[in-house]
Amino acid sequence: MLELIFIIPVFLGVITFFLPRTAGRFLLIMAGVFHLAFTASIWLKGVAPYWAPYFGIAPEGQIVLLVTSFLYLLIAAYTVSYMAEVEMHNEPVFAGCMLLFLGAMSMVAVTDHIIVLWIAIEATTLMSAPLIFLHKSKEALEATWKYVMICSVGIALALLGVFFTILAIDTSDINVPITFTDLARASGRFDPTWLKAGFIFILIGYGTKMGLAPMHTWLPDAHSEAPSPVSALLSGALLNCAFLGIYKTHGIMQAAGLGWYSGRILVVFGLISMVVAAVFIMQQDNYKRLLAYSSIENMGVIAFGTGIGGLAAFGAMLHLIHHALIKSSLFLTSGNILLGYGSKKIKETGRMPLFMPGTSISFMGGFAGISGFPPFGIFLSELMIILGALRKGAYISLGIFIISLILVFAGASKGVIRMSFGNFNGELLVGEKFMRLAPPCILLLVSAGLSIWMPDTLYQTILKAISTIGGGING
Amino acid sequence: MINTPDVLLVLILLSVLLSIGGSRLQEFIRIMSFQGVLVSLVPFLLERHEQTSWLDIGFLLVLIAIKGGIIPFLLWFASRKVSIKRDAEPIVGYHASILTGLFIILVATFISNRMEPVSLSGHQLLLPAAFTTLAAGLFLMMARRKAITQVIGYLMMENGIYLAGSALAKQTHTQFIVEFGVLLDLLVGIMIMGIILHQISRSFDDADTMFLERLKG
Repeated sequence: MLELIFIIPVFLGVITFFLPRTAGRFLLIMAGVFHLAFTASIWLKGVAPYWAPYFGIAPEGQIVLLVTSFLYLLIAAYTVSYMAEVEMHNEPVFAGCMLLFLGAMSMVAVTDHIIVLWIAIEATTLMSAPLIFLHKSKEALEATWKYVMICSVGIALALLGVFFTILAIDTSDINVPITFTDLARASGRFDPTWLKAGFIFILIGYGTKMGLAPMHTWLPDAHSEAPSPVSALLSGALLNCAFLGIYKTHGIMQAAGLGWYSGRILVVFGLISMVVAAVFIMQQDNYKRLLAYSSIENMGVIAFGTGIGGLAAFGAMLHLIHHALIKSSLFLTSGNILLGYGSKKIKETGRMPLFMPGTSISFMGGFAGISGFPPFGIFLSELMIILGALRKGAYISLGIFIISLILVFAGASKGVIRMSFGNFNGELLVGEKFMRLAPPCILLLVSAGLSIWMPDTLYQTILKAISTIGGGING
Repeated sequence: MINTPDVLLVLILLSVLLSIGGSRLQEFIRIMSFQGVLVSLVPFLLERHEQTSWLDIGFLLVLIAIKGGIIPFLLWFASRKVSIKRDAEPIVGYHASILTGLFIILVATFISNRMEPVSLSGHQLLLPAAFTTLAAGLFLMMARRKAITQVIGYLMMENGIYLAGSALAKQTHTQFIVEFGVLLDLLVGIMIMGIILHQISRSFDDADTMFLERLKG
């Protein structure tokens, strides 16, 4: 029964609200272990859904599910150690919401129904809002309010887009169930005008959640004000879930012969996101905001690669996996830095190799990874996207793409070098601990390992996933 | 000849205009309750229901109870908690707001006439009313400062989307999923917003989102 993948975390999450804190911490990790094991069994032998038309796993959902599950387990291990250091008003609520959030994200990954997907994405907003609000400061309150309002409006527009897509079926008088599989199969006969209108609204709606500029305004606030494990989960897992909605709709457009249209829009939004992120990253004095803008840039890269198609689509899928791994690692590391220095300002940190040697290594490694240095996987994925764009002859957009990458690297390196080698004459508040160092390092190692050797099942699944949007390793 | 759905739609349009120019919170909540009842009645009265089953009637009652009763009550409760009575100093003045509302109706009608969806024969007012409600809700969210008024704007927008959904999609495709999706969203959204409102009032002594401008860049 495929649905257990989200039913169990939700069930455990509700229970956790009423449990004492140690039991809650234990459940947090146990749910992660169960979730990863169940995901593995879905990968290895496949699990049949019980409510068949509503749920069913597609290759792209499988990839997002695996990434989410793996990240969650490591982040949960980190969280337990993090919670020991941070004063929390209501820990059972925090742990419960983490589990509910995991459940909602798993539901996004395993659903095939266009409305159930919408409900699940809305659920992720509602479940993660209390997590951002954890510290109850004025800034956290502002970030939560912006997050809930902007994402709810976005998601409402996505619902309108879904209605337009359904209208495209009705106007051409076809009767199919509104699942992505059936829609893609029958989409050649749909009314193209309504399909296009539907895609635009869905892109704006889910794009808000994914952090595409100019709808990204909630993202830097929410990512910088949320506690670090939550930022890692938001950036590494939640943005991918929102992207899944856009990706599946793009698949319908492709099947309807309108892939050129939706692809072009994706490229434009991707490039806008990259340029906006590059501009804001240049003058950033808060390292968590810097990482948040880097997420916007990377979502732009993924949208760009998906829009170009062909080899670039392969690159985009690879980028999704590696961005999730490396960015979560960076946010976890930034949690250590925040605990140590007690400030999010870049100029109030410094001399990291001296004060926090382990954290310094994983931070530098993460920075190298996110900037696209080998051996980390982002090097490969960005190379594939560039090659794909060259094959398609998209020279102008490729030019903007590369210039933005350079600007982002320049802006980010300024901050990172200041943090590592700048002056600092204070005392460290909290030292490093193994449990808060191992998860980010494992994430980095996995990214490096995956770029050297990729399991064949993963390779085949990515190929299957991108075949629906006209991508391929030779295309 | 009097067409019941059309009468309801005209009443919805009037309620939108009333709320867009209003400032008193109690009044706002009463209008939203009225609008919620109307909005839940409209899809039920469209002619595509050949026969009404008990399930339909039960669903209608649940819908009216939530849109017309529970949500306005939660809003009223929240407004009493933060103890504000009116939305002073809006970003856009009340008269300008009403003018904007009229302008939105014009644009919505124009767009709907251009779209001409086939499934709407005989209900020319349905799509303009839906788009007006949607756009007016968005406008209200932008034009008012109080957090609670922004929540009301969001509710209005949801009402508009609900109308558009029932106008555009045949019941065969959506069954009750759309409706439950929207309701679920509304209910939980309002609850969480209520909690946040409560917290805003505690942290800022006033539920005014203009205070929310510390995070920049």
